[in-house]
Amino acid sequence: MPRVSDVDTIAPDDQITSTPTPNPVRKSIALKKEKKVAKTPDVVPTLPVTPNTNPLVESVYKILGHTTHPLSSLLIHPHVFDFQERDDDEVVLLVARQHWFTNVRWVLISLFMVFVPSLFRFVPTLLNIPAAYMFVGYLFWYLITFAYAFESFLSWYFNVYIITSKRVIDIDFNNLLTKKYSEATIDAIQDVTSAVIGAIPTVFNYGNVLIQTAAEVNELEFGRVANPEKIIKVLQEIRDQYKGGKI
Amino acid sequence: MFPQINTYMLLVQKFSFVLGSILYLLFAFIVVKQTTMMSKHVNDKFNTILITFAYLHVAFSIFLVFLTLVIL
Repeated sequence: MPRVSDVDTIAPDDQITSTPTPNPVRKSIALKKEKKVAKTPDVVPTLPVTPNTNPLVESVYKILGHTTHPLSSLLIHPHVFDFQERDDDEVVLLVARQHWFTNVRWVLISLFMVFVPSLFRFVPTLLNIPAAYMFVGYLFWYLITFAYAFESFLSWYFNVYIITSKRVIDIDFNNLLTKKYSEATIDAIQDVTSAVIGAIPTVFNYGNVLIQTAAEVNELEFGRVANPEKIIKVLQEIRDQYKGGKI
Repeated sequence: MFPQINTYMLLVQKFSFVLGSILYLLFAFIVVKQTTMMSKHVNDKFNTILITFAYLHVAFSIFLVFLTLVIL
């Protein structure tokens, strides 16, 4: 004979064999509670932080903060960036390019060049040119526009000023195939000055940093770089640490 | 007489277009050379993209030479 499963009809000494059916509402509450527990564990896991043991890098971060964008005009201790003359034990602390505002001129000119062909319809003499010639002319024009914008971007992108743990480097690509490379070791730096001249550089906080050196190249110039005062601070910090024998 | 002048003008135009496009193709090759050389010296995140753009530029320049020879 099967045992009574109804709890209301069983005797006090009767053995209960069935398990109570779970209440779906209670179950969902229990699940929610589990989820809550999972969300707030007793021990909060800490993110795996790899501490930067290089004091120079730390001090550069303190002065300039971290890089926000890969195309930023100031790359602080970049991980991807490298240059041909770098030694194996040399740490790139800062890569500076000209301030982004210096690009506005060529961007505007390029945009204007893009819209120039749409003005041709207002020139009556151009309307007599055969369609094939017009098509080739348009293609030619847009290629020239692209080349101008591309060259201007290359000029901005590859003209870099680099501060490493050993030296200060200025790499200039003046025209198509001319490369100018100047460097001075940290111990050769004698004096550093900055100049922010004009209304727009003052508003956007960019200017020139002049580095007087005792090296073969008497002077290095970081032209139109962002935050020139902070770059000077970085250079001073590196010099101090160098003199203190930390690097 | 006038149709002859027009023909000459078109010939001169075609010749200048062909010459211009060939010179431009040379320039495009120089841009590729320049970009690869710069990328060798300074290595950064966008170098591959820039080299790709330089080669695309060459491809369009070749297309331009082809167009000037075939269409015009």
